[in-house]
Amino acid sequence: MLRVMSRRGDDRVTWDEQKVLEGDSEATAAIREAERIFSQERAKGATAFRLDPGKPAQRIEEFDQTAEQIVLVPRVVGG
Amino acid sequence: MILITQQVLTTLGWIVLALAISPMVWLIFQPYFKSLSPAERRANGLLHEVLTPEQCRQLVWRGYLEVPSPSTAQRVYRVPRARGYVQVIENGRAVMRLCVQPVECLPDADVVVLHKLMIEANEEHYLQKANKYLCTE
Repeated sequence: MLRVMSRRGDDRVTWDEQKVLEGDSEATAAIREAERIFSQERAKGATAFRLDPGKPAQRIEEFDQTAEQIVLVPRVVGG
Repeated sequence: MILITQQVLTTLGWIVLALAISPMVWLIFQPYFKSLSPAERRANGLLHEVLTPEQCRQLVWRGYLEVPSPSTAQRVYRVPRARGYVQVIENGRAVMRLCVQPVECLPDADVVVLHKLMIEANEEHYLQKANKYLCTE
């Protein structure tokens, strides 16, 4: 799942990794969409974190479709 | 005539009283109303997924979340539940306050998650971006 933090809470794109491996067109389209959003938000300065249960959060630079959950947080500035 | 004047004054008195206490009532109930918004509910969902039950309790009862520094032993970041400075605690003493905020307006719960993730997985960048205010006491 890709979660993008925004003023609306978080926008989500979900996909089924198993279906992607089976070549399901809907799941593949969801992955493409998630990848596109990931790149778009990263270009705006967002930071991406991979979250896996029981493991510490990990910052990632590239989209990883095997991640259980990716959270994109907007760029931060000093206040 | 006197009776009408008295009634008008009483009504005006109630209006003034209502106006005077409405900001206080708003302050008391604002968190409740905010938590009803879909954005805040979604953000709370993510917050509860990211935090352990113990961290959730700390946030609710103490009003802040303590995030240990991954790089420096004895350093803890105290992230407030609502907007405000993040305190840096070293050896039990507040040594610094940090001001870091997202460029986009986010629900409060998402801001807590943002601080936690940045500190745990991107501490160097987080500190680079933060405006720092040293505690002199």
